Amino acid sequence: MSLAFSEILEVTVRSLYVSGLATLLSASWSVPAAYLLSFRQRVGVLEAVVESLVGMPTVLLGLLLYMLLSSSGPLGPLRLLYTPHAMIIGQSILVTPLIISTCYRALRVIAVPYLELALSMGASRSQAMMLILRESAPGVVASAVMGFSRAVGELGIAMMVGGNIRGSTMVLTTAIALGVTRGEFEAAIILGVILLALTIATALSVKTLMGAGSR
Amino acid sequence: MRDIWYCYPGASSWALKEVSIELGSGEIMLVAGHNGSGKTTLLKIAGLIYRPTRGEVSVDGCDFWMLEEAEKIMVRRRITYIHEEPVLMRGSVLENIMYPLRIRGLGREDAAMKAKTIMRELELMDLADKSTKELSAGQSQLVAIARALAAEPELILLDEPFAHLDSWKSGLIAQVLQARRRNGVGIVIASHGRGELPEGLEPDRIIILEDGRIRGMKG
Repeated sequence: MSLAFSEILEVTVRSLYVSGLATLLSASWSVPAAYLLSFRQRVGVLEAVVESLVGMPTVLLGLLLYMLLSSSGPLGPLRLLYTPHAMIIGQSILVTPLIISTCYRALRVIAVPYLELALSMGASRSQAMMLILRESAPGVVASAVMGFSRAVGELGIAMMVGGNIRGSTMVLTTAIALGVTRGEFEAAIILGVILLALTIATALSVKTLMGAGSR
Repeated sequence: MRDIWYCYPGASSWALKEVSIELGSGEIMLVAGHNGSGKTTLLKIAGLIYRPTRGEVSVDGCDFWMLEEAEKIMVRRRITYIHEEPVLMRGSVLENIMYPLRIRGLGREDAAMKAKTIMRELELMDLADKSTKELSAGQSQLVAIARALAAEPELILLDEPFAHLDSWKSGLIAQVLQARRRNGVGIVIASHGRGELPEGLEPDRIIILEDGRIRGMKG
């Protein structure tokens, strides 16, 4: 495989782009869903279902998406298979239960007391919502970071609907898998270290930002 | 509050049963009872936070829960409820105390000036720029009370306010509440009993709650 520095950089940037966009896309529906759940009294069954989907095998989701996006599938005419868009869609679906679940856990301890506080201070609905959003920001961002870590480290979807095409859909995880298959362990280890560093750096920078924001 | 019944969503028993009381201005009322007797529920209904399952909560003769949303906000601004476990926002002590003033449309400088007046009264000036994360339980309770006072309510509802306070801080709160009472503010304190109130804070009325029902009244 022997990747040049420019190619390593390209694969890393693509990983960030695909997983970052997938996380943002997923957060756009997962965070509101978690807010709605946090104000509900009986969410036991729904919570259990969402939590059980957190560990969904990525290859299974990849297979389902492949069947949907392949030329004979219902979404075949969209010609999304083997494009970064297909990977973004797949990863956004993959991280949805994780973001809902972690965000809900952070929100359920905050939403009710802060809503009560806002009401007792005479806040309007929008002011109450702003207060809850402000107070829950660290939890919401932490859940998005977890979602990103899961997305950037997954292999099944990237491989099955992305196709690991050099210069087009190859990301860090698929490049590592290809390196191992070819016996190029040195390149695979370098890419693995980059992947790990990326995950840690994201978590640390967000934590630092949130810490600065709360002071 | 007339013939108030309250059942928590999903619960099978009543948290409050047949409670009727009138909260007046310029008086201190003690709501006494054991844990689970319904004190917090009663205060949250009086604080216009919980809607009773049955019964009527009237403010100046109007059924609060029948009012338009904008009217509800205006009425809520006259009543403040303080949680037993202080609920403080992230940020500084000053920002917390400014919150009710800011949502009432006061500018930052005016709100800060007004908040500092309350902080001086409660001897909190040293904590103005401190993050709420760094406060002790007692300091947090004082900040929550200061924030409620900044809203200049006509009725203050305090849920076990002395639980985290030492005798000095309790005495300070007692003085501040007495001063508000002299100015016509109604004060309702939920507590396990009269013995928990600091010296100098004599209730005009005592209501004893037991198993969600009023079992006795004094005064």
